[in-house]
Amino acid sequence: MDELDLLKKDWNRQQGNYPKLTYDQIYKMIWKRSSSIVKWIFYISIIELIVATLLNIIFSGDKYWEDIEKNNLEEVVTILYVLSYAITFYFIFRFYKNYKRISTTDDAATLMLNILKTRRTVKFYIGYVLISTGMTVVGISGYMILKHSNKDIAQASKYAFDAVDWIKFIGVSVLVLTVFLGLIWCFYRLLYGILLRRLKKNYIELKKLEI
Amino acid sequence: MEKELEHQFVTNLERDQNIVHKICRIYTNDQASHNDLFQEITIQLWKAYPKFRGDAKFSTWMYRVALNTAITLYRKKKRGIQTQDYDSVHFRIKVDEYDDETEQQLSLMYNAVKELNDIDKALVFLYLEDKNYKEISETMGISEVNARVKMNRVKTKLKKILNP
Repeated sequence: MDELDLLKKDWNRQQGNYPKLTYDQIYKMIWKRSSSIVKWIFYISIIELIVATLLNIIFSGDKYWEDIEKNNLEEVVTILYVLSYAITFYFIFRFYKNYKRISTTDDAATLMLNILKTRRTVKFYIGYVLISTGMTVVGISGYMILKHSNKDIAQASKYAFDAVDWIKFIGVSVLVLTVFLGLIWCFYRLLYGILLRRLKKNYIELKKLEI
Repeated sequence: MEKELEHQFVTNLERDQNIVHKICRIYTNDQASHNDLFQEITIQLWKAYPKFRGDAKFSTWMYRVALNTAITLYRKKKRGIQTQDYDSVHFRIKVDEYDDETEQQLSLMYNAVKELNDIDKALVFLYLEDKNYKEISETMGISEVNARVKMNRVKTKLKKILNP
């Protein structure tokens, strides 16, 4: 006899061998708090979205604006602002849509894919914020370097940098950026490690052999 | 209205709770985890209940939500002290008509099933519950061919364990 059939025969005989919960026990359970990974993913994603949005706002503080006004870059920067807010809203909208799509009544593969998609939206948003922040920093630095290398200003300004100052400045910037990115990277490794390792493994296992 | 829905749901689940217990048996190793998973499945079933239209049997609908919870949503809690394993005590009742060899084979089989990965466990569970390949493929979201191939691999794995 097939091994599984032997098991099946026995499986069916075990019907009486299970705990029997009463109506009241089950009733109490439906009001307990869920500890599903979807809930965790939702909370963590919301925190990430808030932090990333704040980061975006902080990096465009008042002083930065004054500087820009002085240098007649207003138009360019306004366009960039509108664009960056539009992108942020787009990501939040996508996140919301994806999150809403997660349903336990879907088949296993669809459910897993929808959860992964929701996470991916947040991941891309974080990536976008990091890259755009990096580009802003590089942009401002580049602009400052250009400004300060103008001899007239360099002579008039007490902030004139010499070569050593520049090296220090660039060194510190790179260090700060590295530490910052490193921390975010660690945070991500941890998060994904805890929440999604099993899900990803199962999804790959399920979809293996699928055309 | 809400009260009516609660009553309907709890009555249904009380009647068909064996399905959830069976899933808990396959996916957990001790009584505390069994209870944890049972609770999480109950919560997820209740949350999804408004979507249950009654055009399918309650039990059929349960398989999906319960398995999804066990495979994907449930986070295993780390336990310091392991309570007694089912396998050695009350995982199954002995059936008198089996001879010792069959009993031993079965015990090996149950242990072998526990060793399978989450997906293989789900396939074996659905097979044991007498679901056909079409239903298995729909529940898991894979093609029927894939379901068959995977099931054959599980059979081979189990065979190897029994006849090394």
